[in-house]
Amino acid sequence: MKLSKTVTPDANSYATELLDRCWLTEITFEIRLKRPPSFTFEPGQRIRFQHHSIERDYSVITTPDDTTLALCIYHVEEGPFSPILAAAAIGTSFTFTGPHGYFTYRPSERSAVFVATGTGIAPFLSIGRSGVTGFTLLHGVKTSSDLYYQPFFRSCAAVYVPCLSERRTETPPTDGFHGRVTRYLEEQFPPGIYDFYLSGQQEMIRDVTLLVDEKFPGSLVYTESFY
Amino acid sequence: MKIYTGSGDRGKTSLFSGERVSKSDLRVEAYGDVDELNSVLGGLVASLPPEELKLTEEIQRIQSDLFRVGAWLAVTPGSSVASDLEEISEKHSKLLEAAIDRMDKGLSNLKDFLLPGGHISAAWAHVARAVCRRAERHVVRLSATSAKDSESEQLRAVVVYLNRLSDYLFVLARHCNRIHNISDRVWEK
Repeated sequence: MKLSKTVTPDANSYATELLDRCWLTEITFEIRLKRPPSFTFEPGQRIRFQHHSIERDYSVITTPDDTTLALCIYHVEEGPFSPILAAAAIGTSFTFTGPHGYFTYRPSERSAVFVATGTGIAPFLSIGRSGVTGFTLLHGVKTSSDLYYQPFFRSCAAVYVPCLSERRTETPPTDGFHGRVTRYLEEQFPPGIYDFYLSGQQEMIRDVTLLVDEKFPGSLVYTESFY
Repeated sequence: MKIYTGSGDRGKTSLFSGERVSKSDLRVEAYGDVDELNSVLGGLVASLPPEELKLTEEIQRIQSDLFRVGAWLAVTPGSSVASDLEEISEKHSKLLEAAIDRMDKGLSNLKDFLLPGGHISAAWAHVARAVCRRAERHVVRLSATSAKDSESEQLRAVVVYLNRLSDYLFVLARHCNRIHNISDRVWEK
C-alpha cells in the first residue's frame, strides 16, 4: 500500500466495481476490478482510490491489454483502507484516479535488476506480464509461503532469487537465499553497472540505494516506495 | 509514508532519470534554485489579499510550470524518462509576456532603479526575481556543459522561460505596490 504524496484533483476520475477477491496468504489478497473503457496506463503505474477522505495508491498487476484491473494488497488490520477492500462485497463501487507514477520499465543496454519486498512485487507483475523478460528479480519476503507469484517469475526472469528473511527450519528453494535482499546484493551479486528498480519498503530502498553508491557506482536507480 | 528516507545522508541524491549524483552537482543546484523560487512564490501568494484571485491563479499556474522545469533539469540527456515530461515551450513564455503587457499598462514609465520592497507581496516578488535570476544562471552553466543537442534545445527553452519569468516578477512587484497604493521607491544615488 502506498500513501499518495499529494492530493490530486478529480481529473481523470473513474468509477469501478469490485469483481472478485482472492486471498493469497492470511494477510495478502488480490482483487479484480471492472476496468473503465477509457482508462489507460503503462505497466508499473498506480491507481489512486478516493474513498471519502481516504486516498490510497496501488500498483496495477494486470497489463494494459487486460479487460479487468487487478491489484495485490497487503491487509493492514489497523489500516484505514485495506480492511475496506478486504471486506467489501463483490459488486461494491469505488472511485479511483490515474494513472499515477513513473515507475515503468525503461529498456537500456544495462541489465535490469528488479528488487521487491513483499507486495512491492506488484509493479513487476504488470511489467513481466506485458512481455519484459531477461531481468534479475530479488524478492524479499518473510517465508516461502509469501512467494505467491513464484511460478510466473520463474518463467520470465533470467535470474530469480527469493530472499527469505525469517529463519525457519523450512528449506529454501534451491536458488533461494536466507537473508534480506540487501545482504544478497552485498554478498552474492557481482559488481557492475545495472539499472536497479526498487519497489517496496522505504528502509529497503534506502539500504539498496546506499549500497548502489558503494558497490555498483554508475548504476541507475528507479524507486517506488510502499509503506 | 515517512518523509525522511535517509538515502541522501551521504551527500548523494537520485536524479529523476535514475543517476546517483552529488548534491553539489550543477543539475541539483539548478533544480534546487527552481524549488526555492517556487517556495518564494508560495510566500508571495500567501501575502496577496483574497480578492486577488486571478493573480493568485496566474502565479499558481507558474508554480506548476516550475515543477515541469524542475523535472527537466533532473533528467540527463538521452534518458527515456524525458518522453514522460511535458516540454517547456514558447507557449509558456508567451503567456508570461501577455501577463507582463497586461500589468505594465497600469504602471508609470520607469527611468530609475527601484529599491526592492514596498508592500510585503512586492517584496516577495523581488526576492522571487532574484532567485529566478540565480536559477537562470545555473541553467545557462548547465546548458554550456550539455553535449546533447536535444537537451541543449530544451535547456535553451528553459533559459528563455526563466528570463521572461524574471521580467514578469519585476513587473509583478511594481503591480503589487500599485494595487496596494504604495509608491515604488527610487534609488537615490
